[in-house]
Amino acid sequence: MNQQDIEAKEVFTSYQGKPLRIMEVCGTHTHEIFRLGIRNLLPSSITLISGPGCPVCVTPVGYIDEALMLALDHHATICTFGDLIKVPGSEMSMAGSRAQGAVIKTVYAPMDAVTYAKEHPDEQVVFLAVGFETTVPSACLAVKRAEAEGVKNFTILGANKTMPNAYQALKGSADAFLYPGHVNAITGTAVCEELVKQGVSGVVTGFTASELLAALAVIIRLSEKGVPFFQNCYSRVVRPEGNVQAQKLMAEVMESCDAEWRGLGMIKGSGLKLRPKYQAFDARVRFHLPHITGRSNPACRCGDVLQGKCTPSECPLFGKICTPLHPIGACMVSSEGACSAYYQYGGKING
Amino acid sequence: MCVGISGKVVSIDKGTAVIDMSGAKREVSVDLIEDLEPGDYVMVHAGTAIAKITDTDDHETNTIMGKLS
Repeated sequence: MNQQDIEAKEVFTSYQGKPLRIMEVCGTHTHEIFRLGIRNLLPSSITLISGPGCPVCVTPVGYIDEALMLALDHHATICTFGDLIKVPGSEMSMAGSRAQGAVIKTVYAPMDAVTYAKEHPDEQVVFLAVGFETTVPSACLAVKRAEAEGVKNFTILGANKTMPNAYQALKGSADAFLYPGHVNAITGTAVCEELVKQGVSGVVTGFTASELLAALAVIIRLSEKGVPFFQNCYSRVVRPEGNVQAQKLMAEVMESCDAEWRGLGMIKGSGLKLRPKYQAFDARVRFHLPHITGRSNPACRCGDVLQGKCTPSECPLFGKICTPLHPIGACMVSSEGACSAYYQYGGKING
Repeated sequence: MCVGISGKVVSIDKGTAVIDMSGAKREVSVDLIEDLEPGDYVMVHAGTAIAKITDTDDHETNTIMGKLS
């Protein structure tokens, strides 16, 4: 432990203020805090809540059903980030659909799906575009490249989401947000500063041990003053204006829409969809997909976990029929999900 | 999917750069970063560089904690 880490730990141990609820918006923050043992350094008066910042976890069941329909009924090749493959749809996951002949490819980047489409002109290739502002620019670049290079057999199935209105929906759930640093690398910090005017506090931080410890120490110290605050503790990556090039690209290719968040329901203006100019790359348009409402396991409490209303351990399925090998809810599937972190790093398991 | 990986720019050709991520080299898009040169460090997400890294975490957190005390 270096000197600043020791100082941060002293801030934790000396804290005698009111109970604090700090929401980690980003799933990677949740995992790193668990993995590094930071929860064990905090006093009992400080509660960490795992928020909805894992895009896989907030993707509704109906979206998986749409992907399955494309794969099984339209025989499209699905290119996806690996996290989504085991997420249960209403009837099965994409992993399960492989046994029925579905072609599901894992890609690291949306651009890889365009390359695959170019190399396989006889296949209809659909990239599953989930993710927040951090990932949206990559999807937009892929669409622009497909257009520029005349790749006609490439489309995206969009479920991209944006954070500002989610913060509005969640602002009563926590005393301070640990903002997702790489979302802010794209968006900048204006939305966080605006939230301060509404009484919502938070800090932007990175993902190393020192960054997480320093950010939590800042939240604790500034909370003691009793005035809403914001501080950018990740200025080595996050500029106040964000990535302007990425913002311009997103505004050119996509437009705002309402979006359904698993567990949180419909949040107005919290999604992104392709602008009409790019509808040729919209899988829903190309394949005339009907509106699909999925069915999740009624006992699954992922929705409550995402809002901080319960811990994973309080879900009756957690650790029993819902495990990383056999996940029921998205929070157990994703490597960034809260249930996965609790399971992997020793959260209380039922039974 | 949301894991950002930092890497050092090895070479740049138009909108694509070879990035060294702890020894693993990969081509990524650098269309969204201006004024990038070999030797710079970038944060990469889903095959796209999203930001230039301008400091070490050690130095930055040292500064933050120094101002806090």
